[in-house]
Amino acid sequence: MAERTLTEKLKHYRISQNEYERISGLLGRPPQGLEWALFSALWSEHCSYKSSKVHLRKFSYRNGMTRDDSDENAGVVDIGFGEKIVFKMESHNHPSFIEPYQGAATGVGGILRDIFTMGARPIALADYLCFGDENAPRMKSLVKGVVAGISGYGNCVGVPTITGYTEYDENYNKNILVNAMAVGLIEGQMNLASSKAEGIGNLVVYVGAKTGKDGVHGAAMASESFDQDIDSKKPNIQIGDPFLEKLLIESCLEVLSKNLVVCMQDMGAAGLTSSTFEMASKGKVGMDLHLDKVPQRDSSITPEEILLSESQERMVLVCVPKNLEAIQAVFKKWDLDAAPVGTITDTKKMRLFWKGDVVTEIDPTLITDSAPRYERPFTEYQSKRKRAKVEAVSNQNQKQLLDSLKQNAFYKNKNWIYEQYDQRVGTRTVKDASQTLSVVRLNSHRDLAISVGCRPSFMRMDTRIGAIDAIMYPALQQAIKGFKPIAVTDCLNFANPERVEVMTDFVTTCDLYAQIAQKLDAPIISGNVSFYNETEGKGISPTPAVGLVGLKENDERVPDCVFTETGLDVYLVQMPGVISYAKTAEVLKKEMSFSGDLTVNYLADFVGAMTAFVAKTKPQVSRVVGQGGLALTLDKMKSAGYECSMQVDANHMFSSTSFLFEERLYDFVFAVDSKTRGPFEKELDALVKKWNLISHVLGSSRKGYS
Amino acid sequence: MKVGVVTFPGTNCDQDVVKMSQAHGYKVVPLWHKDHFDVKSVDMVIVPGGFSYGDYLRCGALAARSAVMTSVKELAKTGKPVLGICNGFQILCETGMLPGVLVRNDHGRFTDKWTEIETVNSTQHFAKSDKKKLKLPVAHGEGRFFAEKSELDKIESQGQVWFRYTENINGSLNNIAGVMNKEKNVAALMPHPERAMFDWMGGSDGFKFI
Repeated sequence: MAERTLTEKLKHYRISQNEYERISGLLGRPPQGLEWALFSALWSEHCSYKSSKVHLRKFSYRNGMTRDDSDENAGVVDIGFGEKIVFKMESHNHPSFIEPYQGAATGVGGILRDIFTMGARPIALADYLCFGDENAPRMKSLVKGVVAGISGYGNCVGVPTITGYTEYDENYNKNILVNAMAVGLIEGQMNLASSKAEGIGNLVVYVGAKTGKDGVHGAAMASESFDQDIDSKKPNIQIGDPFLEKLLIESCLEVLSKNLVVCMQDMGAAGLTSSTFEMASKGKVGMDLHLDKVPQRDSSITPEEILLSESQERMVLVCVPKNLEAIQAVFKKWDLDAAPVGTITDTKKMRLFWKGDVVTEIDPTLITDSAPRYERPFTEYQSKRKRAKVEAVSNQNQKQLLDSLKQNAFYKNKNWIYEQYDQRVGTRTVKDASQTLSVVRLNSHRDLAISVGCRPSFMRMDTRIGAIDAIMYPALQQAIKGFKPIAVTDCLNFANPERVEVMTDFVTTCDLYAQIAQKLDAPIISGNVSFYNETEGKGISPTPAVGLVGLKENDERVPDCVFTETGLDVYLVQMPGVISYAKTAEVLKKEMSFSGDLTVNYLADFVGAMTAFVAKTKPQVSRVVGQGGLALTLDKMKSAGYECSMQVDANHMFSSTSFLFEERLYDFVFAVDSKTRGPFEKELDALVKKWNLISHVLGSSRKGYS
Repeated sequence: MKVGVVTFPGTNCDQDVVKMSQAHGYKVVPLWHKDHFDVKSVDMVIVPGGFSYGDYLRCGALAARSAVMTSVKELAKTGKPVLGICNGFQILCETGMLPGVLVRNDHGRFTDKWTEIETVNSTQHFAKSDKKKLKLPVAHGEGRFFAEKSELDKIESQGQVWFRYTENINGSLNNIAGVMNKEKNVAALMPHPERAMFDWMGGSDGFKFI
C-alpha cells in the first residue's frame, strides 16, 4: 500500500492542520505510526471537550454533600447514613441515527459502566430522546429501534428504566438525540473506587469481553457532522451484549467489594487508549502495555485497531501482583476473561508493545491533557423573538383543540414506550414512569427522585427561558412532591460549535446552569457535551438535557399526580412568569409567542419554599402544569374515571380557550381532602402572599363519564 | 425455614427474592448454577427471574441443563416446594418439571405492567392469601403460555392451572399466568410477587406468596 500523503492522513485521522502543527511542536517532530491514531481519538471533540472545556469550568460549585471529583467517571453525592449516589448522563446520538437498536443499547451499556466502575451498583436508568417529525423518513423505525434497544439492554442487565422525556420535532429529522442517565448507589462496606493508576510494579488487567474491530474511530466519528453517506459509517458502530454487561457488573462489584483493586476504568469512547492513557496520566505514572496480550475476537486485528476498538463490555483495572490470582478467580466464576496486559512503571511514559517490540513510547499527558482548548467565538445572547401579548393560538373550540393536540405524537400517551422497560427490577421503585415524578426507595427508608429536564420548544422560543426551565421545571416537579433537588448532571446537545450562534446558545446555557446550580444548591456533578449534531449544514435546535436527583428524608406518601377519588378540592396556583404558546404553537404549525420572563433567584428560592409547603400540607394530589397548558394537564389528571369538575361561569377565565391552553411558567394544581381544606388554605394564603402568586379554587374531583 | 435461591449468569431478580425471603424471617441459602447441592440443606427452592445465560438458544433452555437444576429436580421428587418466577417459570418448563412452554408475547414486545390474576387451583405451599384475585406486576418479552391441545386439556383437567390473567396481556392460551405439577409442590408464574410486597411498591398482594 502506498504511503498516504499528509493531507490524506489528516483527513483519515480527522486532525486539522493547526492541530497537526501543535502535535509536531509537542513531540518535537511529526507524529508517526500509532501516534496518529492516539491523537486522533483523544484529541477528538468527543474525548477532549476542546470546544467546551473553558465553559464547563463554570460548573465548579460544590457543597457539603459533593466534592470535586470532576476527573472521575461520574459525580458522587454523599447523602449520609452510609449512602452515596453516583450518577451521570451521556449521549449516543450519532450511533443511534445510523443504527438505532445498537446505538441506543450501547448508550445504555456505556453509561452503566461509568457508574459501576466507581463501585456503585446501578439502581435506575432514565432516557431523554428527541425524534423528528413522526412522518419524516426513517423516523418510525428510528423510534421503534431506539426504544427496543434501551429495552433490550436495560431489561437484561436488570436495571429499571423509570423515567424519561420524549420530544418529536422536525429539528431532529436528520439528527435524533439519544441520551441515557444512570444512577448508582454505594452503601454498606463498599468504597468509592478511583480511576487513578498507582503503585510502581502493579499490574494492568484487562477484563470483560474480547476485543474486536467494532467501533474503531467511533469517537472521531461522533465528533463530526453527518453528510449524505451515513451507511459508510456503519462499521464505526459498536455492538452490545447486555448479558456480558450483567456479568461484568457482578464481577467488577465483587472484586471492588473484596478490596482487590487499586483502580478501575471502563473502556468507553476510544476504548483501551482512552482508559489506559487517562489512568496513567491521572496517576502521574508510566505504563507498559502489551497490545498482543489483549484478548482478541479476531486474529487479524492490528495494534491500531486494538487501541481504538470500541468493543463493548470491557474494563481495565490495576492491582497489586499478589491479588491477580484472586481477581482471576472472580472473573472465571463469571466466565469472563481477566488478562494481565501491562505494568505500572516509574517512566511516566506509556510504552506500547507488540509481540515484544516497543511500537510507541509517549508521555500520556500529551495525549490526555495537551489537546487544544478552543475559545470559539460567541456573542451576547439576544432573544430570538420579541415579547408580545399572547393571542389565542387557535379558533377551534376547547374540545376540538384538545382532541387535535392529542393526535400529535408529542402529546400522545407514551406508556407504549415505558411498558417496554422493566421498571421494577431491584424492587426499589415507588413511582414508575407513568407518574410525573419517578421515585426509588433507599434502604435508609428515604426516597430518591430522578427526573430529566429540558423542553426543547422553550429553548427554540428563547434560549434563556428554555435553559432556566430545563433545570427549574424538574426541580419544581420534585418540590411539588416534597423532594429537595440535590444535584444535577447534564448532556449538552448542540450543533456545530464553530458557528457563532450555536456557541452563543451554548455559552448562554452554561452560564445559566452554573448560576442555577449555585442558587438551588444542587451542584452539577457530571456531564457530557455532544456537538456536531448537524447534517448537511442543518443543525438541531439547542438541547441541553438535564438529569436531576432529589431527596426526601423520609418514606412518607408521595402525592398522586392524577385524581383517584371524588370530593377533593382542586386549586390552581399561578406564578407571575412567562405566558406562552411554545410546543402547542409548534404542533399547530403556528408562530410561537410569549411574554414575561423567568428569574433564577426567585425560582431557586421558590423551589425550597414549595418543598417545605408540600411537606407541611401533604396534599392528596399535586402537579406542575405542563406543555399544552391547563387543558392538557387536567386531561392527563383524569384517571380511572375521576376528573376535575370546573366551576365554570360564562365570563370566567376558565372558560377561555386561550387561558386553558397557554403554557405558563409556572402554574400548579393541588387537590386536597375537604377535611383538611382549612389548614391547607391557611398555608396556601401565606405562600401566595409571600411569593406574589394568584390562587383560584378550580373545582372539585368527581366521578367522570369516561 | 431455609430458602434456596438459584443464581444463573444473567439472573437479575435473585436479590429481590432474597429480600422477599428475609422479609419473612427465612434463612437464605444461595445456590450457584455450576454447583450441585444437598437437597437436605434447604426446605424450599426459588428459581428467580432474569435472563439466564442471556436467553441464548431459547429462554431457560441452557439453565435447564445446569448442575444446579439436577439437584432442584431431586429436591422436587422429595416433595419439597419449588417456586419459579418469570424466567424461573421458563426454566422449570424447559426442565420438564412443569408442563407447557413460554413463547414470545403475541404483540412481539416486552411488557411491564400491573396485572390482575385469579387463583384457579391453589397449593398448600405458596400464595397463602385468602384473596382470590391478586394484583401483581409482570415484566417479560416471552410470557405467552403455550401447550399442545392434548397437553393443555390435561393441565386443565388435572387441576394444574394455578393462575389466570383476568385480562389476557400476552396471548397466553386459556389466559394462563401460572401452572403447577400434578403433585402441586412445583409451581410457577410469570408475574413477580416479590415486586408487590408492600403498598409503597404499588401493591402488597405478593407478600403472602411464600
